Amino acid sequence: MSSDMTVTATGSGPRSSTAATPTGHETILNIENVCKTFFTTRRTVHALDRVSLDVRRGEFISLVGVSGCGKTTLLRILDGLDDCDSGTITLDGVKLDGVSHDMSYVFQDINLLPWRNVLDNVALGLEVRGVPKAERRARAMEALELVDLASVAKVPPYTLSGGMQQRVGVARALAIRPKVLLMDEPFGQLDNFTREALQVEVANLWEKLGTTIVFVTHDVDEAIFLSDRIGLFQPGPGRLTEVLDVDLPRPRTSYDVRAHHRAIGLRALITEHLRGAKAPTG
Amino acid sequence: MTTPQGSTAGTDAFGASVAALGIPGLDEGKDQLETTFANAFETKGLLTADMTGPAGLRRARQHQTAIAGILAILAGIGIWQATALFMNPIFISTPSLVAPALWDLLVSGPLPADFLRSLLEMVGGVFFATIVGVGIGLLMGRIRILERALEPLVAFGNATPSIALLPVMEVWFGFGETARVAFIMTIAVWPLIVNTHAGVRAVRGRLADVGTTFGMSHWQQIRHVYLPGTLPYIFVGARISLAVGAVGMILGGQEIGGSGLGGLVTVLGARSETASLVAAILTTTVLALFLFWALRQLQARVFPWIAATSAGRRESR
Repeated sequence: MSSDMTVTATGSGPRSSTAATPTGHETILNIENVCKTFFTTRRTVHALDRVSLDVRRGEFISLVGVSGCGKTTLLRILDGLDDCDSGTITLDGVKLDGVSHDMSYVFQDINLLPWRNVLDNVALGLEVRGVPKAERRARAMEALELVDLASVAKVPPYTLSGGMQQRVGVARALAIRPKVLLMDEPFGQLDNFTREALQVEVANLWEKLGTTIVFVTHDVDEAIFLSDRIGLFQPGPGRLTEVLDVDLPRPRTSYDVRAHHRAIGLRALITEHLRGAKAPTG
Repeated sequence: MTTPQGSTAGTDAFGASVAALGIPGLDEGKDQLETTFANAFETKGLLTADMTGPAGLRRARQHQTAIAGILAILAGIGIWQATALFMNPIFISTPSLVAPALWDLLVSGPLPADFLRSLLEMVGGVFFATIVGVGIGLLMGRIRILERALEPLVAFGNATPSIALLPVMEVWFGFGETARVAFIMTIAVWPLIVNTHAGVRAVRGRLADVGTTFGMSHWQQIRHVYLPGTLPYIFVGARISLAVGAVGMILGGQEIGGSGLGGLVTVLGARSETASLVAAILTTTVLALFLFWALRQLQARVFPWIAATSAGRRESR
């Protein structure tokens, strides 16, 4: 490894669950020894093996790895969409059991409800929580303004482009004002130009709102552009093997990610790490 | 929104997305392309005044389809009439004989009453089939143990040839309309169970996550996610149910007490009154077409979003 590498690996493995790490960062989400195994009729898949991670308050952290390394599984477990076999997750010191009202999820396949217009889709989470109609409309409208889509509030979602639909998906997740926003390869189905535009938009939203974001992707440049830290996953069994700091100034541009020497070093490091993880067996 | 001449929701949204992306000129380009097409039509003299512009192009295309369809029907009628030159009209009669026979059946015959009776039995049977079928399909999709228990039974019932159930209906309900409605329901319920169940399974893998992430209760999930999410599949099932229900309607009318259009067809066939028979058969076709049309109208007007789903897209042409 070259000597001018400014990337620091903060190590892995079990960590203490104290609220503040020695470096002074406050932990919002503590993930401790999470394991998950799927049993299908054909084979047994060890999706997650003792994954531990402290997510810091207000940070943007990406989870990167090849397909099938368990990163989406971890995100689904965090949200309560799936259960873990063992291990604990605590949010602000409270142990999570099932779905948390303080986190929301942005899906790769967006999943807007086609029978509701854009505004009512964004208001869905507030509706479930019993927020009165007028208030939830106002708050949904606010969320739509954040993603600059207030003008299409009354339109059916399927008439929008893919990029606009995912912005609605982001607004829907933000409308409940989550402490932690979980994003599962949200731009995976979009074309390059739209993806870059949305990356900038999410970076701006994050700076503006200060919401903690856990972001799953297999796009290394996307992770470098957006993140404070990047967690690297290895498959078979799925493990979190490395957490890297992204020491790039903000606000960033896509030029930084392509040309900044630190970004180049970081990309090389991540790529090497992921390449070593190519053959997921058993 | 600054969409030039956006006439439908679709073009409005397209304009909106173009405006939101801030790409100038794209919208104009689209109009230009369509104007070029329209001009190409115009030089061939195929266009009338209202068929220019983007909306006009679509209208012109619909116009062509309609003309082709009408020509085909007229040709069919012509060939049918021509068969009289070399065939005894006792076999398939001719349009010139069927038309007055239809008129007689309508004005002084039993056709209006039989039509109404069959229509009501059909609507009743498919209605109950929908209630039962959607209910069972939803329960199967939501309760794992019921899914396991009922799946083989549904496969069994679905595979049973429907006509074999006719005598059972007679034994259970006698020879009146109860038995006929029950028969239609019994054969129309299976496509609804199977399709509703398939719909719930499709929702389970995708949209259900949305309900879960927002912490919906079991009933909120059913009301806000599963029931609407399954609707495109329910409509697919309902369309198949109408088709098999129409067979059940005629069969029930013929076999159980001889009533409605089924009974009428049997009687006219027995008397070898071919012209009236053909008129009665055409009436059953009209009845079935009317019900298909009504279902399609219901979907398009009350649930326009269904056409945008993958299940809905598979169905529509």
